[in-house]
Amino acid sequence: MEGDQETTGFTLVTRKPNFDLPTACPNCLPAYIYLKLAQLPFELAFNSTFPDSDELPYFENGTYVAYNNEDGGVIEKLKKDGIINLDSPLQSLPDYLALKALIVSWLEEALTYELWVGTEGISAPKIYYSDLPWAIGKVLFYKQTYMARNRLGITKENAEQREKQIYKRATEAYEALSSRLGEQKFLFEERPSSLDAFFLSHILFTIQVLPETSVLRCKLMEHSNLVRYAEKLKSEFLEASSSSPSPPLHSFPSSFSRKSSKPKSKPKTEKTEEEKKFKKRARFFLAAQFLAVVIYLSVMGGGSSNELEYEDEDY
Amino acid sequence: RGLHRRLWTSSGRHKLNSSICLKTRHRTLSCFLSVPMANPTENLDANQPIREPEDEVEEVEELNGDEEEEEEVEDDEDTVSKSQTRDGRSSVDSTKVESLFRRMRESPVPVRVHDVIVKGNEKTKDHIIEAEVDAVREATTLQEILVASRVANSNLQALDIFDSVNITLDSGPPELPGTTNVIVEVVESKSPLTGQIGAYTRAGARSSSVEASLKYKNIFGYGDIWDGSVVYGCDNSAEVGMGMYLPRFRGLPSPFSSRLFLSTQDWLKFSSYKEQSLGLSLGLLSSKYHELVYTVAWRNLIDPSRTASESIRRQLGHSLLSALKYTFKYDQRDSYVRPTSGYAFTSSSQIGGLAPDSRSLRFLKQEIDLRYAVPFGFCNAALNFGVAGGVTFPWGSRYQNRRSSVPERFFLGGNSSPVCSLDGPSALWGFKTRGLGPNEAKRKGDDERDFVGGDAAVTAFADLSFDFPVRWLRERGIHGHVFACAGNMAKLSENEFRNFTAPKFLETFRTSVGAGIVLPTSLFRMELNYCHIMKKQEHDRAKSGFFVTFSAAS
Repeated sequence: MEGDQETTGFTLVTRKPNFDLPTACPNCLPAYIYLKLAQLPFELAFNSTFPDSDELPYFENGTYVAYNNEDGGVIEKLKKDGIINLDSPLQSLPDYLALKALIVSWLEEALTYELWVGTEGISAPKIYYSDLPWAIGKVLFYKQTYMARNRLGITKENAEQREKQIYKRATEAYEALSSRLGEQKFLFEERPSSLDAFFLSHILFTIQVLPETSVLRCKLMEHSNLVRYAEKLKSEFLEASSSSPSPPLHSFPSSFSRKSSKPKSKPKTEKTEEEKKFKKRARFFLAAQFLAVVIYLSVMGGGSSNELEYEDEDY
Repeated sequence: RGLHRRLWTSSGRHKLNSSICLKTRHRTLSCFLSVPMANPTENLDANQPIREPEDEVEEVEELNGDEEEEEEVEDDEDTVSKSQTRDGRSSVDSTKVESLFRRMRESPVPVRVHDVIVKGNEKTKDHIIEAEVDAVREATTLQEILVASRVANSNLQALDIFDSVNITLDSGPPELPGTTNVIVEVVESKSPLTGQIGAYTRAGARSSSVEASLKYKNIFGYGDIWDGSVVYGCDNSAEVGMGMYLPRFRGLPSPFSSRLFLSTQDWLKFSSYKEQSLGLSLGLLSSKYHELVYTVAWRNLIDPSRTASESIRRQLGHSLLSALKYTFKYDQRDSYVRPTSGYAFTSSSQIGGLAPDSRSLRFLKQEIDLRYAVPFGFCNAALNFGVAGGVTFPWGSRYQNRRSSVPERFFLGGNSSPVCSLDGPSALWGFKTRGLGPNEAKRKGDDERDFVGGDAAVTAFADLSFDFPVRWLRERGIHGHVFACAGNMAKLSENEFRNFTAPKFLETFRTSVGAGIVLPTSLFRMELNYCHIMKKQEHDRAKSGFFVTFSAAS
């Protein structure tokens, strides 16, 4: 487009929504929630072709861009650049840093492990590769699984030991956070912070995206106050602007398991329909190819002699 | 083979010799009609004692008239000495040959080809060689046979797998008068592995490149050539590839080529993205006028500099390209480097998204290029006109809203001359590479702008070339030219076509005029121009002044 683009609006670019979440990617969700907690009006845009990029999510306002792989993440960059800072009065508190370390390292590790290794990446295709061709999606899946294992330091020798360590840490973190939170609305006093964004994102992802059989999910569900906390914040901040109501989190395990079983059967029927469509198209494509080859052979096989004479081609 | 035009190589391993020799029924008198590789005078000297040199010279010149010199070759001494032993026979035969030549000059001599015999091929399959000699089989007169033999000879050399090719016309079986046997003797290359380093031009790229390749020839005997190559292009591109070339695929006359490549193109300075591709391209049809290529590639656009503008940012990521490209090329100009008469037309159509998966890149692209050269009588002057246009559009559901893919869009500008390139709208004098058209501000902190390309582009130029009155310059082909050009681009995707109006498009046309000196060299055509930008838009990267363009003739 010629000329400058003067947009005064804020835009957050994330990966696509799924599993009833505004964005299904565990790296993008904290930024989304942070902006919602800050009650900053913004638009949501999606990039569905770059699953292995660490630039996403990024926040833009005109020509200003805050990438996730700069300055410690989008949220940190927004704080630093003065766009929005929910943590300024809280940073001096003694347990701010401790809680941050707990959430950002132990819980994040546990989530990464559970998504790529613990559940063998069963949810990953829907989060990352729904808009990419099958072959590319498969290769990127293997690539991202390998990178996740590397990042977590998992090798053949220490796999079991590392798994135990990760789950143990996650359990301890949940207990600590559960007792710290109690029945409070936010982690700190009555004001939201970036830690709420990270923690809420973790809980929502673990409950809604990871399958029922997930070990991490079961461990989280044992702490009902954490789930209530997530439910409250979700209905207040995330659904206030969105038109479609999402299912209640607190009426679990029974209703949640029902809810998750329903979507499971729905995706299955959708899948088979998609598969059928794909197979039909593939058959048409093969038929067209065959026809083209037959026509080519019949046309070119006959009229070839004209080409041979005086063919002083330069090459 | 239409993909390459070799400008210079230093392989040093090629020794090519070829000849056609004619034997009469009674004696094996040979008359050597050498094809241009060899030095014609050497051959004539060897044959002089046997027959009248005049006839021979005439024959040689008649048939060799319009062929160009290619690389340097050495004469194979064996064939020359063979002639000397055979030709030292009776003078009766020489008079017979004389009368035969006289008959040939007067009227067509009816002769029928009885059989084609192939010798010397240990690895190469017979049908590969016989297929090139088919036209000889169908000839009905001696003149036709000789001409067809020459064509067959050059076709066999073009296969690039033989060290020497000899086509001999022997007398047919005695019980069948008026027949001849065609004997094809080939000597296969002893060392099938050759290495080459050269400067090339490729039809698809806009600039020249340096290529180093290793070729393994004729492994399976089908004339197959396998090569591995590394190409470094002058436009910051690099490619590693492996290719396979078959002159004939299962009896079809068209060669088949395939290439597996891994390439990267750096456009960070101009459009803030880098393109990486891993793919396979198949040359399905390649003839004088037509070319059909299918490409499937995994393409990734990244921005390691993190300065891209908004629309480039949205395009970053992976995509699958599965596209079929058909090119029709008709070039009747008298020269690529300095056309003075004739016309040329190219049409290239591309359709992407040929895969059952709807998530592959879907687009349609059409380019047209038309050239016309009008000669004037004086000073070897000629007026060249050219018009080129192209349009690209996505297809599929909600195609009007979709955005087109940046690498498929058109970009105008660069330091190559529009006179030479015959592949759609690309160059404009005076404008830098990717220097005009729709553009956007880069990320804050960077004052540069990203040129994101247009979905439709039109260029036109007029170029008057003339010789200088100085003879020294004329001998070297250095001439002058005066030119004018105009071009414009527009965005059509994402519903922008609704805002497109012809008056606005014409109003925003960029134009430039200038004059300069053209220095044609064996590798490329260099121009030293002074260009004055008459009309440009805000943010265009163009400046009036002196600049140099390099272009390889396409």
